[in-house]
Amino acid sequence: MTEEKELIDRLSRGYMSAFRELVEAYKKKMYYFALDMVRDPADAEDISQEVFLKAFRKFKTFKRDAKLSSWLYRIAYNASIDHLRRKSLAPQTVEDETLDVASQGFSDSPPSPDPARTAESRLLSARVEKALQKVSQRERTVFLLRHYNDLMLEEIAETMQISIGSVKSYLFRCLRKLQKELAVPEAPGQMEVSDERL
Amino acid sequence: MKGCKKCRDRLVEALYGDLDPEQKTFFKNHIASCPSCAAKFKALTETLKTMDKRVRPEPGQDFWNGYWDRLSQRMEEERVGQEESRSWGKAFSRIWSLRARWAFQAVAALALIIAGIFIGRTIFSPPRVAFEVASQASETPPVQPGEGDPVLRARSYVDRSKLVLLALVNYDPKSEDPYGLDLPFQKQVSQELVSQAGDLKSDLKDPSQRRLRELVVDLETILLQIANLESKNDLEAVEFVKQGVENGGLLLKINLNEMGRDLSGGGRRAAAEKSPAQKTNI
Repeated sequence: MTEEKELIDRLSRGYMSAFRELVEAYKKKMYYFALDMVRDPADAEDISQEVFLKAFRKFKTFKRDAKLSSWLYRIAYNASIDHLRRKSLAPQTVEDETLDVASQGFSDSPPSPDPARTAESRLLSARVEKALQKVSQRERTVFLLRHYNDLMLEEIAETMQISIGSVKSYLFRCLRKLQKELAVPEAPGQMEVSDERL
Repeated sequence: MKGCKKCRDRLVEALYGDLDPEQKTFFKNHIASCPSCAAKFKALTETLKTMDKRVRPEPGQDFWNGYWDRLSQRMEEERVGQEESRSWGKAFSRIWSLRARWAFQAVAALALIIAGIFIGRTIFSPPRVAFEVASQASETPPVQPGEGDPVLRARSYVDRSKLVLLALVNYDPKSEDPYGLDLPFQKQVSQELVSQAGDLKSDLKDPSQRRLRELVVDLETILLQIANLESKNDLEAVEFVKQGVENGGLLLKINLNEMGRDLSGGGRRAAAEKSPAQKTNI
């Protein structure tokens, strides 16, 4: 916390070295959160860079008593929502997006010694992605922030500008929906399609 | 079972280990004693474990190594773009300020010119109506001999003759330029009038038109003399004609005729039907 305060102090004075420290500390978090939100690596990088550019330009608007990570996540959340709104004019199908992301993930990973297990893992990941697309945007965002980005409920509330009660409610509803979705066995036809795509 | 609602309210925090020690104790005790809540908790824990199987695409170390460089490049591009737009903005504002100055001057000058034209046309120019009436009158064809009311033609004749006579009578060679009298023009008008006199005399047959016919005859005589003046500067001849006008009392006769015309109520009509020559100041 003392380190963060020191960083904030240097950032407010406009030190470029402090800005670089900020980027190095949060680049992965911002990128992965943006990737979770928009599910496109190029767009995710673009959004994450936009987060840092905004943070650099508008650091004077940052409130000292707030948490730096919450502020950055809030910028990333807004940028992602704006991006999704723009992109919603030409949406892809859920299946295409899910399979695209799953295949992208595995295309960069090193070759596995156990192809059968790798294929099973791919299918499971694709199924999880698909389940995530079945919940609402807000429910998904709350879950992504809590489960994959380790933000506390208070931080999520600050990021999304909603109450903690709302965060809990969204998270609980999301978990119930995911549970229901993952409990349903995958249809054979869909599995075949997934195999073909993978 | 008692405490199920409280347990459900703490379920999310319990799944992520966010409960404080007191809440944690309560939750553990309740789960141990409530199979329904325990089953729910277990099912959701399994769901979270499944969600952990999700694989995020890893961009690779090269991506992370070059991240700062790409971000710096983007910042530089944005900075240059902002400077360019700022310089364009400055240039535009400079042009705008210059343009505004001369534009305001031009607009002010134009407004003054328009105001001057408007004032000149509305206040200082002569009334257009009179000019238009005169021009319309000049466009009307002259009354041809033998055409129209002979009385009206005779009155027009008398009026035109009066103008010629007045020009001649009022001419004073001692005090005025001898060339001030436009004798050729008066001769020309006189010739025209003489040519009309013959028809008028024959048309004024009614006994009530006798006096008018006699006036036309008297005027014809003197107009004939004027028409026959030979030289432009023949002052003796002019004096001779003037004496003839005075001796014959022609102007008096004309005035009497006009008075009678007014008394008979024809003055307005006659005035309205003045000849084109009178209206154009012959």
